[in-house]
Amino acid sequence: MNVVRAVLIKELKDGLRDRRALLSAFLFPLLAPVFIYGLMTLVIKQNSESEDLVLPVIGQAYAPALMHQFEEAGFILEVFDGSPEAAVRDKSVELVVQVPKDYQETMANFELTRVLVIHDGSRNDTRTIVRKVRRLITNYNNELAALRLIARGVSPKIMQGVRAKNSDVASDEQRAANLLNFIPIYVLMAAFVCGLGLAIDNTAGERERRSLEPLLINPVTRTALVFGKWLAASALAGAGMIITLGLCLAAMLALPIDELGLNFTLTSGQILMLLLAILPVPMFASSLQLLLGLFAKSFKDAQSYVGILVFIPVIPTLVLQFLPVASSLWMYFVPIFGQSLMIKEILGAETIPLLAYPAAFMTTFATSLLVCWLTGRLLNQERVIQS
Amino acid sequence: MIEVSGLKKTFGDVVAIENVSFNAADARVTGLLGHNGAGKSTSLRVLYGLIKPETGYAKIDGIDVSQDRITAQSKLGVLPDGHGLYTRLTAREHLQYFGRLHGLSDDRIEARSEELIRMLDMQGIADRRTEGFSQGERMKVCLARALIHDPRHVVLDEPTNGLDVMTTRKVRELIAELRTLGLCVLFSSHLMYEVAKLCDDIVIIAEGRVVAVGSPEEIRAAAGVDNLEDAFVLLSEQAASV
Repeated sequence: MNVVRAVLIKELKDGLRDRRALLSAFLFPLLAPVFIYGLMTLVIKQNSESEDLVLPVIGQAYAPALMHQFEEAGFILEVFDGSPEAAVRDKSVELVVQVPKDYQETMANFELTRVLVIHDGSRNDTRTIVRKVRRLITNYNNELAALRLIARGVSPKIMQGVRAKNSDVASDEQRAANLLNFIPIYVLMAAFVCGLGLAIDNTAGERERRSLEPLLINPVTRTALVFGKWLAASALAGAGMIITLGLCLAAMLALPIDELGLNFTLTSGQILMLLLAILPVPMFASSLQLLLGLFAKSFKDAQSYVGILVFIPVIPTLVLQFLPVASSLWMYFVPIFGQSLMIKEILGAETIPLLAYPAAFMTTFATSLLVCWLTGRLLNQERVIQS
Repeated sequence: MIEVSGLKKTFGDVVAIENVSFNAADARVTGLLGHNGAGKSTSLRVLYGLIKPETGYAKIDGIDVSQDRITAQSKLGVLPDGHGLYTRLTAREHLQYFGRLHGLSDDRIEARSEELIRMLDMQGIADRRTEGFSQGERMKVCLARALIHDPRHVVLDEPTNGLDVMTTRKVRELIAELRTLGLCVLFSSHLMYEVAKLCDDIVIIAEGRVVAVGSPEEIRAAAGVDNLEDAFVLLSEQAASV
């Protein structure tokens, strides 16, 4: 036990004195609010209606009644000259509505009249306004059809068949949490990023600077050395992860989420549950990093191996994206998957089976211990010194 | 007392050492002499418990290193082949870390550190971080940390390699001092004159085998030449031609 403590103290002291490595490690959590704020405001802007909707139109004069509809809906009409395709393509306008010259004529002949909506389908930011323009034209068409039927003494009701009615089962919190899918990713990634430097320096670095051999000459078990190093890296990773969580939550509370018709609240109970859920993650991350760090042939090798680990937290979200299944108990037993699920569900104010906490904790913690034990075995092998 | 008997170690197809046997007695300095690659470091690594021999044993005060590594290592002070330092720790912090790994109390570490800092003339560098230390300064830290637990057996792998004259002299003084204190000192070197000057007993190793053991006089007699350096070269060449 004293050995573990001695190694832990030394590694932390050594690690905390490496200012440059520390700065780069903690840049990740510090950037969290900036990143989230930027992304969220973008999402909000895309989903909410802007104040004045400018609509460039070609041939306004041909369809005064339709134009009136647009104006009523809050659009400010603008005369457009030149090539609408080119203007949309070079993004100087969001879209252009083109009324054909023969609008009145075809209308009078009861022929189908086409109003052209020229837009760029690959742009995400114009999707809302394009959808709105289309809906307006459809509504105008329905109104026109109804009037024509009335003029012929037929009730417009006969046109009514079946219509879809919306009933969204997601709560407001859930929808907000959906929107914030990346919070679990970001928080869990922090656990993999912040202890990374220390874990590599601890293992591959120790060998590279030829201090591993003097260390192994000491009359201690190799497992005790591994545990000391593991706890040191876990402490740093844990600190980084908790800072990231705090900053993410603060950023979310500061955001104008209500503009989306969603609400996000946070109770101290939720914060406690979050902390309980993610606690074993830094230990898990650090144990894997130590194993790879020691396994690698060189410091550079170790960096690339460990760098790949950083993407582990993305996997659960990706999997659920392609295989949307309801959460069942076994998922909580899978390290990182369980935690990713729990963060999302706690933020979405969903109820989690109580068993999920011990389940996720036990398997993640046990896996970390197993990996540490493996690392200890690796350290017992002669080839570890002879690289 | 260090006993090494019948050691064999191969790495892949290469036989690094074969049938290496020698003893190092208390209160004497034993020199392990050999060219680079002759098998000195491999023999010593077996001795300080870093690699396991395929045959034979290494014993420290009767304790087999392969069977009870931890007890054996606690009796040894080692300057290993790799002597890296932690650049962000001070010299004193190195002593503290290694002292704790040896299970010493902090009081004991502090007292012993003072003693070693005085012994090795490290007053000026004791509280500086080891980044930017000269070769000699680094060697002093390594020696001090090897001796922190006041071991009765000291194993030094090429302790004067790459040092300037002043530090080399200091290291030699230290080795002589350790002998007067009654310690069992075993060190390796590829420098004949160094071994001749410091050692009571010499073990010459070539091509992974021990080719001669004894006092300087005995070695000269065995080779049939007057000069110890000639004896070393002759014995090494004989081994190579076999």
